[in-house]
Amino acid sequence: MSDCLCEINSSDIDLTNERYRISFSENDINFLAQSLRESGLIYPPIVRPFNNKFIVISGFNRIRAHIHNNRIDNRPTKILVYQTNPDTTDYQCLLKSITALAFKRQLTQAELIICTNRLYQFLDEKQIAQKSSAIFNRELSARFVKDLLAVGSLPDPALELISTSHLSFKSAKKISCLEKDTIETFLTIFSNIRASSNKQLEIILYIMEIAARDAVKPKTIFKNQEIQDILFNEEKEVVLKTSLLRTCLFEQRFPTVFKTRQKTREKIASIKFGNNIKFLPPENLDSQTYSIVFTAKNFNEFQNNVQNLNAAMKNKALKEILNP
Amino acid sequence: MKIDTLFIDKAIPEDLEIEYLLSKMNADPQWIENSKTVYDFINDADDPISKAKKTLYITRNKGAVIKSCPGTSFYTCCDYTILHTGTFCTMDCSYCILQAYFHPPVLQYFAGLKTLSNALEVRFGQNTIFRIGTGEYTDSLIWEKVSLQPKFLVETFAKQNNCLLELKTKTVNIDSLLPLDHNGKTVIAWSLNTPDIIGSEEKGTASLVARLTAAKRVESKGYKLAFHFDPLVIYPGCETQYKKVVELIFEYVSPESIVWISIGTFRFMPGLKQVIEKRFNHSTIPYGEFILGLDNKMRYFKPLRINMYQKIISCIKEYAPDLLVYFCMEDEEVWEKCIGFFPKKEGELGHLLDKSAVAHCSLNTNLL
Repeated sequence: MSDCLCEINSSDIDLTNERYRISFSENDINFLAQSLRESGLIYPPIVRPFNNKFIVISGFNRIRAHIHNNRIDNRPTKILVYQTNPDTTDYQCLLKSITALAFKRQLTQAELIICTNRLYQFLDEKQIAQKSSAIFNRELSARFVKDLLAVGSLPDPALELISTSHLSFKSAKKISCLEKDTIETFLTIFSNIRASSNKQLEIILYIMEIAARDAVKPKTIFKNQEIQDILFNEEKEVVLKTSLLRTCLFEQRFPTVFKTRQKTREKIASIKFGNNIKFLPPENLDSQTYSIVFTAKNFNEFQNNVQNLNAAMKNKALKEILNP
Repeated sequence: MKIDTLFIDKAIPEDLEIEYLLSKMNADPQWIENSKTVYDFINDADDPISKAKKTLYITRNKGAVIKSCPGTSFYTCCDYTILHTGTFCTMDCSYCILQAYFHPPVLQYFAGLKTLSNALEVRFGQNTIFRIGTGEYTDSLIWEKVSLQPKFLVETFAKQNNCLLELKTKTVNIDSLLPLDHNGKTVIAWSLNTPDIIGSEEKGTASLVARLTAAKRVESKGYKLAFHFDPLVIYPGCETQYKKVVELIFEYVSPESIVWISIGTFRFMPGLKQVIEKRFNHSTIPYGEFILGLDNKMRYFKPLRINMYQKIISCIKEYAPDLLVYFCMEDEEVWEKCIGFFPKKEGELGHLLDKSAVAHCSLNTNLL
């Protein structure tokens, strides 16, 4: 049986019950409230009778905006809603909550995670994948559903970090199979930095590999004073913290490479080639081929570069670099 | 590792070699027409690599029987010749590149002694020295207890004088070789590592002492020897451990019996890392200081490689100053810093090894 369109008192709606809420973004409802005033309620929210009250299946923001307008205008608090039939099951309500949003706009990754985890109470991975186009307005493979479920099992604040782009889906998936302690460690790290997905994966990789190599828990690495100082220094920008953390982890993961690169860089800097000349060591210092690049806009600049190169020839650091 | 499934290619004749194999193996053979049966059987397993180690496919070699070692770009190769007698291995070394090299890996035994002999005859008739080995895509002696092939090869090589046969192994399967008239043309080589690495990374292989004891036994029968420190693995305390291995070699065998020792640090195609992590989750070998080398393989950072090589080579030279030590896949800087010269010209390293082969195995000197 279809839902019936009726008017109810907005005070009878229990907004604290968010069991069907999918989108947790705290949008400013002022614009929506203005729109309701101008155009009226175009799409009525869907509610479900529950314990002599109504709980919201779809339209949290519309109801909040409606209540907001009524408070300002001191008008009667009736609102037009679709009320579900008393026989409507939990599963059907859940479907309504998802489809109402998914066919309006594409769900975010965090919303997809929430939805698949809720659906998993009623359907298995394959069934979710099979019904995905009808529910999510897009096809999801069983494998992706599995990943969504794995990420959905992460503790707080994983979802919040995903929705604020502090934690990429790939990284979330990567840490979802780790021990609880380790997951919490990574969630704390990503709460305190801002890194691209690739950099997040690099951070996870280095910490896991250092831990495996040194036979310690990843948490032990996280508790290292240097890392704590980077992550919890309130005065440092998140981008700087990210860069410092990556450098620190690289140094721990590749101590010899780090030291050698640093020494080479220092030696090159000591040669003072001038601003127009770039002296580049070989990739990973595995070959012996150094390259030198300079630019010149005119003959004078060219001559200056050559003079700088001649001066560099007398610097013993250059010989040390080229004939180690 | 026990073979629990045995497939045999219907196309191969049931000759003496096959009869011998079947009589020695405790597995009911399944005669199949299409190798796809084997591939599907292995691919359907949760861990195809482990499954492949217990599944033997006796077939014929449908490709080249003899080929040159592919080597690798930018690093110096020794110009080795491969005799293709089979693929994959029953032992389970975590670092084994064959796990990632074949898709899927299939444990194949290439039957057909006549095929081998025909291919070898061509080489035997050439006026060139060849160093030929069977240990590139498999262990040379894993089937020694059940196969006539090693005996056949030793005896075939014994009858000529321009080719050396190198049988490279981590087993101690030498019994059938001891009474043979090898005529000095077969070198039996062992891959060596520290007891720590053998214990943690070389599952199913013989212990270091067992390998050296076997080396001593074949030496007593006049066989020449070779040793391969490949892969050297860098870990805390490894330098002392590798030096002890070197000392132990010379406690067991004489330097004069050793044709060459090769050294190479652990290097791998990037895809192997995931295999190791999945199949050997306690292994820490992928977490060394690896960089992407010029040949797109992961290698230890060069200063670390050089340091290791210098220590081990100086130790070898203490015991055997004239022994030929060479690198498998290293560049000019490493050669210069660790050995003091670099075989720069194409074929120069190969020529050095040929010289040692001629000197130790009584090959035709005029062919150098």
